[in-house]
Amino acid sequence: MTKLFSSNGYKINFLHAHRTFAFKFNRPFLAKTFKFADLHLKNMMRNLRRPVALLALPAVAFLILLVIYPTVYLWGMMFFSFHPARDPYPIFVGLSNFGILMRDSESWWSLLRTLLLMSMSVPIQIALGIFLAVLFTSKYTRGSLMLRVLILIPMMIPSVIIGLNWKTILYSHGPLNEFIKSIGLEPQAWLSAPFGNPSNTLICLAILDVWQWTPFITLAMVSAFESIPRDIYEAAYIDGASEFKIFRLITLPMSKSSFITILMLRVIDSLKIFDTVYALTYGGPGNATTTYPFYIFKTGFTLMSLYPSYGYTALLSIILLGVATALTTVIMKILKINEILWG
Amino acid sequence: MRKGTLTVVMTIISFAIVTLYLSPFIWMIGVSFKPIGEWGASYFFPQNPTLRNYMELATGAVYGVRGHFPSIIPYLINSFVSSSINSILTTLLGAMIAYTIQRYRFGGTRLATWILSLRMIPPVAVMLPLVVIVKSLGVYDSVWGLILIYPLITLPLTTWLMIGAIKNVPRETDEAALVDGCTEVEAFFKIVLPQTSAGLAASATIAFIFSWSEFLIPLLLTQSTKGMTLTVYAAYFAQEYGVLWGPMSAAGVVIALPVIVFAIIVHKYLVKGLTLAA
Repeated sequence: MTKLFSSNGYKINFLHAHRTFAFKFNRPFLAKTFKFADLHLKNMMRNLRRPVALLALPAVAFLILLVIYPTVYLWGMMFFSFHPARDPYPIFVGLSNFGILMRDSESWWSLLRTLLLMSMSVPIQIALGIFLAVLFTSKYTRGSLMLRVLILIPMMIPSVIIGLNWKTILYSHGPLNEFIKSIGLEPQAWLSAPFGNPSNTLICLAILDVWQWTPFITLAMVSAFESIPRDIYEAAYIDGASEFKIFRLITLPMSKSSFITILMLRVIDSLKIFDTVYALTYGGPGNATTTYPFYIFKTGFTLMSLYPSYGYTALLSIILLGVATALTTVIMKILKINEILWG
Repeated sequence: MRKGTLTVVMTIISFAIVTLYLSPFIWMIGVSFKPIGEWGASYFFPQNPTLRNYMELATGAVYGVRGHFPSIIPYLINSFVSSSINSILTTLLGAMIAYTIQRYRFGGTRLATWILSLRMIPPVAVMLPLVVIVKSLGVYDSVWGLILIYPLITLPLTTWLMIGAIKNVPRETDEAALVDGCTEVEAFFKIVLPQTSAGLAASATIAFIFSWSEFLIPLLLTQSTKGMTLTVYAAYFAQEYGVLWGPMSAAGVVIALPVIVFAIIVHKYLVKGLTLAA
């Protein structure tokens, strides 16, 4: 006879399994559940009746309009076929957008390309960023504040401007190629991939991303390093530990949680890469730099797509939202929200 | 090596690395002052510096067969109006909801976590419905449409920054006000808000920076001088007149400069806000 365990830990007989049901939904359980829900509802209503809740209302209204409604819209639109240039009204097509997704290899390629870009740029950013952070916080370096302010600049320039600035730099007779020539190497066709190496363009985007976001990691790591209590270092110095040992055994382990948060933030942010792609390559040449956000843009808002449909765009958007939400959940698990808010 | 020498060496190395790091930006500034013949030249600093690129940017200019490019002024006005209204609006709304969250736990941990996580959603994923909303409300291609949608980017950020600022105001002050007979709302506007003025200024500045640099939203919501902002202007400039390096770089400098100045002023808050520290 098969033995089962009910969720309450009671050992029960398979034949009497129906009893679990009766046991689970007995009166006290139901009463408890309803009381709980009732309490929740009452609390909510009481909160809403308080005048102070009025202060939250405008912001909540904005968030409902800008986030909740769009999400609901996307979930609904997923099952329709509609393009304003083609259809008078949305047509219900059931799951056929999923069929398009399966057929459309370009969407998978663009997702893969985004991941490739991420795996090229994020490790370099992390390494370079931490190196600079160590340099800036070293006790031998003077003018640390000045350095921090200067390194902030690349991060704050609007991404579009970075794109068009690098367009002039990467131009085939531009300063980068002149520099490469002057040290005796072969100049590269950075952006005009049809005449050169097609993967160059993606590498260019990675370079851009590294240039733009290394300062973020530097500044974040600097503030992480500086939040480590000084007396630990003093104790280590008194014990005669070497600089390297202090870094390896105190600084790195103590800034681990900030490091993970920063890494996750970078990973999530590289799912957003759009502005630089638009300004530098417009997804080209061909599809060589069409990242996933840019592919969504192409499908939904331009006429360059093979499958121009709001429904299909909604499906692609839902996938992106899903990935971003999953990663965000991880980050929120790491952060101690309660402590930060009310600690 | 002696300690003094080490200090000198480390400092020089750090500044050299940072200068090298900033060289693309220095290049852009250099090109923006170069006369037409020198744009393609590979040296950084112009031999005959000129302000012509900036003058042409202000007035619009004609370049042979490439046609003319439009003046930057209307776009500058659009950007300024939308960013400043949005920065004031979202800072105020952010402060209000931050107060209810921080002091009264409105919505509990769940609401706070949700608002914070909005900072991380890719805007492109929700732009389709937002374009539909804006078009149906009749504010397409105007700064009002932009002001309506910008809070998607800035509201989570200002809320988060203001939670930090309000947390630093001692609880006793508004409790004293409550005892004296203020309502909670009055206590917020009269007691708490004035004490967070530094935080308010910082979060307004950061909201301004982010809405000034926003590209995707104005790209999809505007199409003419009535609403188009500087970033979109720059992108079209690069597409249509990409050979005009001088005016293009000048536009880049004009767009980037206010943001950089503001960012340097609030850099402490900025790093905190971006790394989710409070």
